[in-house]
Amino acid sequence: MKDKHWKANEALIHLFQTVGRASLLYDIQDSHCGNMVMRWIDERGKERMAITATGSQKGDLEPEHICFPSLKETDFGYYKASSESDIHAKILALEGVNASMHCHTKDLIIDTLDDEKKPSRPEPFYPTDPLGYYHLGGIIPVDWFALPSGSPQMVKVIPDRLSRHPVTLVQAHGAFSKGRTLTEAFFLQCVANNSGYIVRMMKKLDVDVEDLRGKIKSDPHAQFSYPLHEYRIEDDEACQFPKEEELVKEFYKTGARIFESRLSAFHTGSVSIRGVNTMFYAPNASMPREIGGPLLEISLSPENDDTKELEIHKFIYKETNFQAICHCWVPEAEAHAKFRYPGESKALERIIPIDAEGSYLYLVIPVLPPVHDIETFLQLLHDYKVVVVQGGGVWGVGSQSLSEVLHHPSSVREICLYRIGAYERGLDLRKMEPKKAHNW
Amino acid sequence: MNISSFPGYHGKILQIDLSKANISEKPLMPGVAEEYLGGRGMATRLFFDEIDPICDPLEADNVIVIATSPLIGTHAPTACRGHMVFKSPLTGIIGSPNCGGSWAHAFKSSGYDVLVIKGKSSEPVMIDISPEQVKIIPQAKLWGLDAHETTDRLTADPEKGKEYRILCIGPAGENLVRFSSVMNDKNRAYGRGGPGAVFGSKKLKAIRVSGRRKIFVKDEERYKSGLDQSQYLMRSAPITKRLMRELGTLGLIKLIDIIEMLPHRNFQDNLHRDDDLDKISGETLRKTILEKASACYGCSIACQRRTNVGGKKGEGPEYETVVMTGPNCGIYDLNAIARAHYRCNELGLDTISFGGTLACAMELSEKGYIPKKDWGQMNLSFGNGDILEKMVDLITARKGLGDILAEGSYRLAEHFQHPEYSMSIKKMEIPAYDPRASFTQALGYMTSPTGACHLRGGYAVSLAFFGGTKEIPRFSLLQSPIAIRNMQNLGIIQDSLGICRFTGFAFSTEPWARMASGITGRNFSTARMEEIANRIASLERIFNIKTGIGADEDTLPMRFQQESIIVGEKETRIPEETIVKMRKDYYQARGWDEQGVPRNLQ
Repeated sequence: MKDKHWKANEALIHLFQTVGRASLLYDIQDSHCGNMVMRWIDERGKERMAITATGSQKGDLEPEHICFPSLKETDFGYYKASSESDIHAKILALEGVNASMHCHTKDLIIDTLDDEKKPSRPEPFYPTDPLGYYHLGGIIPVDWFALPSGSPQMVKVIPDRLSRHPVTLVQAHGAFSKGRTLTEAFFLQCVANNSGYIVRMMKKLDVDVEDLRGKIKSDPHAQFSYPLHEYRIEDDEACQFPKEEELVKEFYKTGARIFESRLSAFHTGSVSIRGVNTMFYAPNASMPREIGGPLLEISLSPENDDTKELEIHKFIYKETNFQAICHCWVPEAEAHAKFRYPGESKALERIIPIDAEGSYLYLVIPVLPPVHDIETFLQLLHDYKVVVVQGGGVWGVGSQSLSEVLHHPSSVREICLYRIGAYERGLDLRKMEPKKAHNW
Repeated sequence: MNISSFPGYHGKILQIDLSKANISEKPLMPGVAEEYLGGRGMATRLFFDEIDPICDPLEADNVIVIATSPLIGTHAPTACRGHMVFKSPLTGIIGSPNCGGSWAHAFKSSGYDVLVIKGKSSEPVMIDISPEQVKIIPQAKLWGLDAHETTDRLTADPEKGKEYRILCIGPAGENLVRFSSVMNDKNRAYGRGGPGAVFGSKKLKAIRVSGRRKIFVKDEERYKSGLDQSQYLMRSAPITKRLMRELGTLGLIKLIDIIEMLPHRNFQDNLHRDDDLDKISGETLRKTILEKASACYGCSIACQRRTNVGGKKGEGPEYETVVMTGPNCGIYDLNAIARAHYRCNELGLDTISFGGTLACAMELSEKGYIPKKDWGQMNLSFGNGDILEKMVDLITARKGLGDILAEGSYRLAEHFQHPEYSMSIKKMEIPAYDPRASFTQALGYMTSPTGACHLRGGYAVSLAFFGGTKEIPRFSLLQSPIAIRNMQNLGIIQDSLGICRFTGFAFSTEPWARMASGITGRNFSTARMEEIANRIASLERIFNIKTGIGADEDTLPMRFQQESIIVGEKETRIPEETIVKMRKDYYQARGWDEQGVPRNLQ
């Protein structure tokens, strides 16, 4: 077979299309920017890379927009492929790397812009949230390049950065990530941007970000609820309860909403619904419609290899009558949980909605410190159905349905957004909060 | 116990032994209130302690307990509901109806929390309760009067400063109709399971109450924070702020039809013509026979309908009544249904069982199992609205075929050797939601402690039509057992707090927990209330087991197992293996053994 008969199989095309669309939905690309890359073995067994064509629309990829240049030599494939192909080829040469991705991670870019005289060496970005801390190793290198697109300097520096970090950032351009799979590379992009977004929100709320970073550096366990397990490469189409058609649909619907509404970064968070002996569990709750994520049936009994997140689900079910649980890393809540009212030094204990819908639904939302006793956590879940944990995400419970628990992070996000927006405008939140809410 | 030791309660149980004409008081032990809260919980506990489970429900050994809750007497919304527990003459297991109106509030204002009635009078009597005195008064003159006449007689010419509230039976209770009710404020009913017949068997015609005793609130701030929450949320939720006031419960007719749960012709199918439903809808009632909306004591929801049909005034009819005596009998005549409903209230009949029993008779007749010679002057065909009112009279008077119908659908169908045509569980007629259209509702009917009851069994169907965010899949085997347990527990908590189910459409237990904790000064957290609900559910179950029933009775009539209806363009039924699986999982969710015997409470 001749090389000109480039032909990706349907699975590869589908993967590029779905990850491409998801990256647009998550708003870390513009219409034509960025690129996605995977290691690819052609029909003759020759190793190549599958890479998106330069200028292709990642939200609407067609088969002809995927190119297959050689990994080892310059061939005709490079005419059409991304201008950053050389960088990606070097990234794929790193040990254990099968995929890479470049995205315009806007929030991270904005937060790392500076007006220093160039050339200069920008400061690295230090995430202040648990996803960023644990999945990105607590640091994202940031580099300035005179020619920040496909340049020889980038070919040299970026793979080197990625040999030591999961994600690296080109100042004023965007992030590069590596992965064992394309979805992992995408996951890291989303987490990185999420970290940038959280820092931006914290700054809007006048949170002392540098002070927080110092505390995280000296004792991360005091700032985050629990260490996160590493991203797991799993079969995203796996479903262990296919006969429960209505519930399968509910899980995918819930996952898609979490992702599209940015209630939790891609493949983070978790949702579950319980039966009497087992629970149905989505360990990667934030699931774009076309990518999905594993849907598992799991014993309610504790197992040695349970993640901390799963442990909490099981513990809640053991101790309560709740039927459904949703845990999301809502970025606005993460930022808001660190807020202090002007002139007050006390840590935030409750978020009081200032919007009509939020007041109607919740009256108040309790906030727990990162380290707290489990009894208090359960008591608050009983009394309020939703709890924001500093450095621990938003936990919501319900007596009946996935829809019921999805509503919690969704509402909490809005409630926080309005408060952050009001504060940003210089409004006095204390005056806006219903007086009665202080007793609720 | 006194007010200072446990606010929210008077701390007194009033005991009346009709056999001995003995009246006594005993203290309400704090442990009972702590562990069973009030209403349904407290009534069940005290009933359990007093009753011989294998007694004849229509003999002196049966015990009636009516309990109030710590919220009654405060401004907690809808907190006016009393709860009655007895051994049911219809089912032979626990009877446990709940009722609004004003009687329970007035009873608590007389200075008591609970009323326990035992024994059997040799002549018709009434009980007169006030803070000053409790009397058993012979009332032969009232025997034979309907509930409205009785109420009018007993409230006429009150002593100065007194306002009377009446609980009474009509002739149906006197004649021991097994699904006769006890009426309150003329038209509110302790309806299901035949409490009227238990009153009748004891020759107890009425209980009159009066009083102005107040309740002391321990922690005003906590109580008011819950009260504020509840009022705020009730003013916001469409169902509690507007819908029930404008359309009443009958507004549900078209919604239930849309989700294909509306029964037709003794649950033979779920197919109705739109123009037929138009004739009996809540919208039609509003345009035709409604005079005004009204409410129970302390309730802002105002779901009651004051209506007028051809110059005759009454209340209702409600959704359950209209469906069971209407489409389930093939009848779509709102006036005929309303007149029959008025008559049921006057004579004291449970309208759900009345409709279910009549539908059963119609099917038995159509299939030729009730010979035409037994029909009397009645044409017992589906769709014949002319017989509705007459059948109420015949059943009440136990005349002709009415005497057999007065036994309820199960005994009727058994009498004619076809019990499979009784759409009942544990001999109680299934309410107006077809269980084949929701596994959760089916399981609720199966495991309801009182037989097929949508309220004691968990009002799961509500999650399917206005559950909002709580909408659940209707056919999930995994989800149904826990979903129905949680709905049942919510119902137990509401019944034990003396509040209305409809508040659940605005908020769940959290504001109630604050109010109950504030009033009593005790920690009635939501978690604690769930513990209490589990305890009450187990106690009800133990009583039922002691009466002789077991897991096999937690099932559905064969029709629902073998005959399909169309739901969402799919044929659906609930086969035996599904029933067995859901039942087993439900027992486990409750912490009961495989036979449904509670492990944690004896």
